Amino acid sequence: MAAQFSGVLMLTDLDDFITPSQACVKPVKLEKKPGKSVSKIQIEDDGSYFQIDQDGGKQKLEKAKITLNDCLACSGCVTSAESVLIALQSHEELFKVLRDNKLASATDQVVVVVSVSPQSRASLAARFGMSSSETGRRLTSFLKGLGVHHVFDTGFSRTFSLLESQQEFLERFQRREQDKTALPMLTSSCPGWICYAEKTHGEFILPYISTARSPQQMMGSLVKDYFAGAQGLNPRQIFHVAVMPCYDKKLEASRPDFYLEETETREVDLVITSGEVLTMLEQEKVILNEVEAAPLDELFSNVKGNELLSHAGGGSGGYLHHVFTHTAKHLFGEEVKELTYKTLKNKDFQEVTLERDGEVLLRFAAAYGFRNIQNLVQKLKRGKSQYHFVEVMACPSGSLNGGGQLKALPDQSSKELLQQVDQLYRAEMPSVPEDDARVKELYQTWLQSAGEERARGLLRTQYHGVEKMSSGLTAKW
Amino acid sequence: MMEDSLVLVERFDAHPDSRCWHVAWNPTGTVMASCGGDRAIRIWGKEGDSWKCLSVLQDGHQRTIRRVDWSPCGTYLASASFDATSCIWKKKNDEFECLTTLEGHENEVKCVRWAPSGNLLATCSRDKSVWVWEVDEEDEYECVTVINSHTQDVKDVVWHPTRELLASASYDNNICVYKEDDDDWECKATLEGHTSTVWSLAFDPSGQRIASCSDDRTVKIWACRNLDGPGDMSWTCVCTLSGFHGRTVFDVDWCPLTGALATACGDDGVRVFKEDQATDPDKPVFSLVAHISKAHSQDVNCVSWNPKEAGLLVSCSDNGDIALWRYKGGQE
Repeated sequence: MAAQFSGVLMLTDLDDFITPSQACVKPVKLEKKPGKSVSKIQIEDDGSYFQIDQDGGKQKLEKAKITLNDCLACSGCVTSAESVLIALQSHEELFKVLRDNKLASATDQVVVVVSVSPQSRASLAARFGMSSSETGRRLTSFLKGLGVHHVFDTGFSRTFSLLESQQEFLERFQRREQDKTALPMLTSSCPGWICYAEKTHGEFILPYISTARSPQQMMGSLVKDYFAGAQGLNPRQIFHVAVMPCYDKKLEASRPDFYLEETETREVDLVITSGEVLTMLEQEKVILNEVEAAPLDELFSNVKGNELLSHAGGGSGGYLHHVFTHTAKHLFGEEVKELTYKTLKNKDFQEVTLERDGEVLLRFAAAYGFRNIQNLVQKLKRGKSQYHFVEVMACPSGSLNGGGQLKALPDQSSKELLQQVDQLYRAEMPSVPEDDARVKELYQTWLQSAGEERARGLLRTQYHGVEKMSSGLTAKW
Repeated sequence: MMEDSLVLVERFDAHPDSRCWHVAWNPTGTVMASCGGDRAIRIWGKEGDSWKCLSVLQDGHQRTIRRVDWSPCGTYLASASFDATSCIWKKKNDEFECLTTLEGHENEVKCVRWAPSGNLLATCSRDKSVWVWEVDEEDEYECVTVINSHTQDVKDVVWHPTRELLASASYDNNICVYKEDDDDWECKATLEGHTSTVWSLAFDPSGQRIASCSDDRTVKIWACRNLDGPGDMSWTCVCTLSGFHGRTVFDVDWCPLTGALATACGDDGVRVFKEDQATDPDKPVFSLVAHISKAHSQDVNCVSWNPKEAGLLVSCSDNGDIALWRYKGGQE
């Protein structure tokens, strides 16, 4: 199972000598019942534990359960998270919710919303030989056929992520002289990178990371706040599923920051990968290119007519591209039509600069994959980074190559497949975030009325350093 | 039966009250560097007839130093420590200064080795990963790759003597061989055969074969037929030396001058093997030609042949001492 997570995540605090269950150091909270002192614990033949009270009474003890949140809050290991994930975050869970929904009374039914990422669409498009938009339409049809009520596009929520990134960058750029941690701003949409940063570099690196929510969690706000409000629903009455190119996104959805205390619900209840969607299709014996297309759910989709749109700048979301062009224009009055990427050490480390009269005004970089993240962090630590902005992705080649994407068929190399997915992704027309009228309107209505503080909570997030734990089992050899 | 001999030349306490983990000859074979549990690196040179400590390098590491390696030019020394870092030391006049500390491994770094070109450095760790670092003209080190081909602690990394080819040994009982392929390094072969931890590896002088030693008390010889071909390499085990070692074999070294194979063993012994000349190269036969059963009073951690003086062997042990041996082949 471990292989499905990004390499970055797998490298974080893995322990080779003890298995996850033994390694788990999470203290279990015991419900103390007054007036009883434990005298004995008895293990039955079936492995269940009983507490034998002094008066001879027997009481079955609860099994300790480790949730994904426990794993995230702990620096012990990452491996334990896998088994927890498999139970809580799988396509089987979606099937179960849909099944239960059919049997439930009208008042108990939940509204099932699925938000599909453009990267997942492109991955499925390559497998079924269709365009990304066509895949979006047929996927909408397939999911609605299963009982899903709404199928949205995280390309829409990504417009918010891009706008928030751009705004935050301008703020950071203004205070770069006074605040040494203002720049470089490091992007935040890759959960593998965030998890690694929090667990390994903690307080040193976190101030540099953009507070803009990722598209997945932006959609969480849109669905569980705006949409719930508009529909007159309690957020609990909505089951929100995200389809993502990456397993690490499951960890992101489980962060306490994205849990709504008041209504005891998560903004994104479940994350399934592109590959799991394929498994769903197979289980339902459905061939996606034979499904009749359905109209797209325009409410939260980045569309023009019946065609889905994208953002310029490639398969990892276009953060570098958007922030660069926006800053060049608004700070330096330069209209940048095309970005020139200069490949540095390897193809996953590229640089883009804005120069005037030989002076470098902006120096941006894209650093993908663990080796480049490593060099970036070390440069920062040595005070040798010259960058203003870095688009950071844990996977080599970025999000289109996420661990949750469909694997290459036997007659195809993974390199060829990635190229094909990239082409399908780029074939969607790019949209300009500032020009999106509906997003603008939501800023003016929904977010304006929410008030500044609440709007910040809906659009931004925060990071938490995980303190290093020193294991008692330190190897001597 | 054993006509060859291994004669003690000198023995000295290198890391008092500590373990001596490793000892490395400089490229000219005139100076040795040793490291140990005392978090110190000691530089040894010959004065008159005996070896003297020329300098002690301290304050580079917070924990045990597991490994030292000289750069091919002899100016730099790299050290790998259980504090999760590697240090690069530069020789200036007769002193060494710590140039830089390579951070990134999650926990104990087990080995560090320079590539023959001197431009690349490999490290491996208990975090199961193998890293390759590149050095530029300004002594800046950048990580070129992080490879996660092993499922357990990686004990050793070794470079091919002439090609940019890397091999690693692990607690997962396997050996992996890596090459650079279109922008990144990839595992091109996994050598399975040992039944317990593989502790150390050594290429033969031609680079066609690898010797590996293991906790399973054997030494295996692996040969490759398609070293230069594209795609995956094919390595096969052509010889297993079993029944010779009483306990874990911790280190193996293939002499670049004589072709003799030396081993360091947990049974306190140092052994030398030689290949029988008459045998089929596809089925080589190695014979034990010299054996000092109590070479040290505790585990022998390392054996290393002098690169210039044929037959001069150094070993070091858990008891903190270093011993120099003269190997004399019976036929010569």
